[in-house]
Amino acid sequence: MSILLRLQSLFSIFGHYLSFILAYLLETVFMIVFVMVSLVAVIYLFRKYMARVQLRIGPNRVGKFGLLQLIADSLKLVGKESVLPRGRDDMPFRMAPVIIFLGLIMSFAIIPYGSLYWVGSLTITDSDVSVLLLFAALAIMPIGELLAGISSRNKYAVVGALRGVAKDISFEIPMMISVLALVMMASARTSTPLNLTSLVSVQFIPYGIPQIIGLGVFFIAMVARASYSPFDMGESDSELVAGHSTEYSGMRFGMFYMGMFGSIFLGSMIVSILYLGAYNGPFSGDLGFIYLLIKSLILVILAFTIWLSVPRIRIDKFVNLGWKYLLPASVINLVIAGILTLGLGL
Amino acid sequence: MTEITKSKDLGNGWVELNIGPQHPSTHGVLRLKVKLDGEIIREVEPVIGYLHRNAEKICELDYYCDSLIYFDRMDYVGAMNMEVGYLEAAEKLLGIPPPERVKWIRVIMAELSRIAAHLVWAGAFGLDLGMLTPFFYCFIEREKILRVFTETCGSRQETNYMSIGGVYQDFNDKIVYDIEEFIEQFPAKLEVIFNAYVKNDIFISRNKGIGILEPEVAISYGVTGPMLRASGIDYDVRKAEPYLVYDKVNFDIPVSYKKDNLARFLVRFEEMRQSIKIIGQAIKKIPDGPYFNPKAKKSLMIRLRGEGETYARTESPKGEFGVYLVGDGGVKPYRVRVRSPSFKNLSVLPVLAKDVMIADMVAISGTIDLVFGEVDR
Repeated sequence: MSILLRLQSLFSIFGHYLSFILAYLLETVFMIVFVMVSLVAVIYLFRKYMARVQLRIGPNRVGKFGLLQLIADSLKLVGKESVLPRGRDDMPFRMAPVIIFLGLIMSFAIIPYGSLYWVGSLTITDSDVSVLLLFAALAIMPIGELLAGISSRNKYAVVGALRGVAKDISFEIPMMISVLALVMMASARTSTPLNLTSLVSVQFIPYGIPQIIGLGVFFIAMVARASYSPFDMGESDSELVAGHSTEYSGMRFGMFYMGMFGSIFLGSMIVSILYLGAYNGPFSGDLGFIYLLIKSLILVILAFTIWLSVPRIRIDKFVNLGWKYLLPASVINLVIAGILTLGLGL
Repeated sequence: MTEITKSKDLGNGWVELNIGPQHPSTHGVLRLKVKLDGEIIREVEPVIGYLHRNAEKICELDYYCDSLIYFDRMDYVGAMNMEVGYLEAAEKLLGIPPPERVKWIRVIMAELSRIAAHLVWAGAFGLDLGMLTPFFYCFIEREKILRVFTETCGSRQETNYMSIGGVYQDFNDKIVYDIEEFIEQFPAKLEVIFNAYVKNDIFISRNKGIGILEPEVAISYGVTGPMLRASGIDYDVRKAEPYLVYDKVNFDIPVSYKKDNLARFLVRFEEMRQSIKIIGQAIKKIPDGPYFNPKAKKSLMIRLRGEGETYARTESPKGEFGVYLVGDGGVKPYRVRVRSPSFKNLSVLPVLAKDVMIADMVAISGTIDLVFGEVDR
C-alpha cells in the first residue's frame, strides 16, 4: 500500500474527495520539506568539503559547526531586493526560477525511496512508466535555464543559454540510450521494466557491474546536467559572469543555486537507483532508505571532488565528447546489454 | 540609467559585447570591447585607464625619496621589484650607490616578491579556467612570503622597504631563518601546485596550442618577460644587463619554443624554481656591512639633488620594467616616465585573441599576467 493511501485512510473522516485532497497536500508539504532539508544538507556538505580540500575551515560561526549558516544565508537571500532588469521579457523572467525549482521537486517525487514496515512503499508518485515520467520531469529544468537566458535581455545570459542548449543536446541522447539498455535488461525479468521500483527489484547484482560503460556515460551525463565544473560552460563565472542567471538576484537567484545543488543530489540518487541497486544492501529491509542515502552521498562527494579539481571544459570540446565518445559508448553498451539479455539470459 | 538603445547592427551578424571593467575574469579593471560571431571572437579592443592615478606626474611633485610609494602601487603584487626598478634609476641619478650588503638584500627581496607575484598569477589563472582549488594553495604559500615582508618592514603588500642608498631595516637572524625555512619547504609545495595543473588533461587541452605568439610579433609589440621567453627568445634583463648582484649568482633563464599558453605557464613556474635557487645562494653569500649609504641618511634624504637624465631597466615579474628620470638640479625630479611591461604585453592581446572562442580569450588574457596598477599607472 502506498504512502498516499495510508494518508488518505488517516483522513477518512473527512469523506472521500476531501481526504484525497488533504493527503495530496500533506504529501506535497512532505516532499518540499524533504527537498529543502536535503538541499541544505548537501550545500553544507559541499561548503565544508570544499573548505577541507582548499585547506580552509569553512562555515563555523553561525550555530554549532556552522550548521545554521545556510539558514542565515537563505534568510539573507529572501530579504534582499530582487532586481528586475529593464527590457526583460517579464513573464518568462519571473517564471524561469520557478520552473527550475518545480522540475526539481517533481523529479524528487518520482524517485522510489524504498519502503518502511509501518508505512509501506515510500514512493510518492508511482506509475508503470515512472522511468519515462522521471526523465520527462528532468527535461523541465533546462527549459527554465533557456527561458532565463533569453528573457533577461543580457548578452552574457543569451550566450550562456545557447551554451546550455548545445550542452543538453549533446548529453541527453547518450543518457537516454544507456537508460534504454537498462530497461532492456530488466525486461527479461519483469513485465513492467519501465517502473523504477521493479527496475530496482530485478537488480540481483547492481546493474552498474554488467553495464559499467552505461554507468560511466550516465554519470557523466548527470554531472553535465547539474552544470558544475568541468561542465559549467552555461554559467561559467570567469567568462560569462553567471551565464543565464546573470540578471537574477535575491531569492530568484537562490532558486537557481538550489536548482544546481538539487540537481547534484538528484543525479546521484538516480545513478544509485538505476545502477547501484538503490535501497538494496545487506540487512536492508527497513533500512533501505539509509542505503540509498549513503550511496547517493558517496556519489555526491565524488561529484564534488571532480568539481573542485578540474578546470572548465570548452563548449566545443564538450560537444565533441558528447557526440564522438559518449554516443558510441552508449550504443556499445546497448549492444552488450542485448548480448547479456538474449545470449546469456541474464 | 538611460533608455535602452537598440544594440548596434554590425552588418554581419556579429554582436558587440563589453567584457569588463567589472567582470570576474578581467583581473582588475580591464575592459574588452569584443565583437562576437556566436561563440567566436572576431575582434578584441582593450580599453584601459580605469585605474589611472597619474603616478608619474605625482612623482614629479615629490622628493626623490618619497616617490617610492607610488612605485609600490604600480605592480602591487610584486612591489619589491618596482622599488628596485625605481632605485636603480634614482641612485644612478643622485650618485648614491648602495652598499654591497644592500644589493644582496635587494636581490633576495626582489626574488621573494617575484615568487609572490607569480603565485598570485598561478592562482588567478586557475580561476580563469574554472579551477578553484589551486588558488588557495598558491595564496597559502604567498602568505609565508608576506610574513617575511611584514617582519622586515611591517607591511604586507605595498612594502616601501627600500630607500635611496639602502633599505629601511637590516636583516636580523629571525628573518634569515624564516627565509631559509621558506626556501627549504617551498619547492615541494610548488610541485603540488604544478601537478594540480599539468596532470590534468582538461587543463592541457585548454592551453596547448592556444594563443600562439610568434617571436617576431612579440618583438614588434615590445612584449617582454615570461611571455617573450615563452616565444623562444632568451631575453632577461637580469642576464642581458645585470644589475645589483645578479651577475654573481648562478641561475638559468627558462625559455620555451612552443609559444602557446602552456609554454607561458611552464616558463613562469620554472622562473619560480630559479628564484628559489637565487635566494638560496644569496642568503649564503650575503656579506656584512652597513645597510644604508651614509650620504642618504634619513635627515639628509629630502635634500638630495639630481641633475641629468638616466634610464634604468630591471626585470620585474611581468617583464622589462624601465624607469626614466630627468633631474634639473632641484630636490624633485623634472620628469618621471615608466615603461611598464604589462601595458606592452596587453597590447598584443588583439593579435592573440583573434578568431578564438570566448573561453580561450579568457585563458589567453590570463597568461598575459595583467596587473592594472601597472598598466594604467
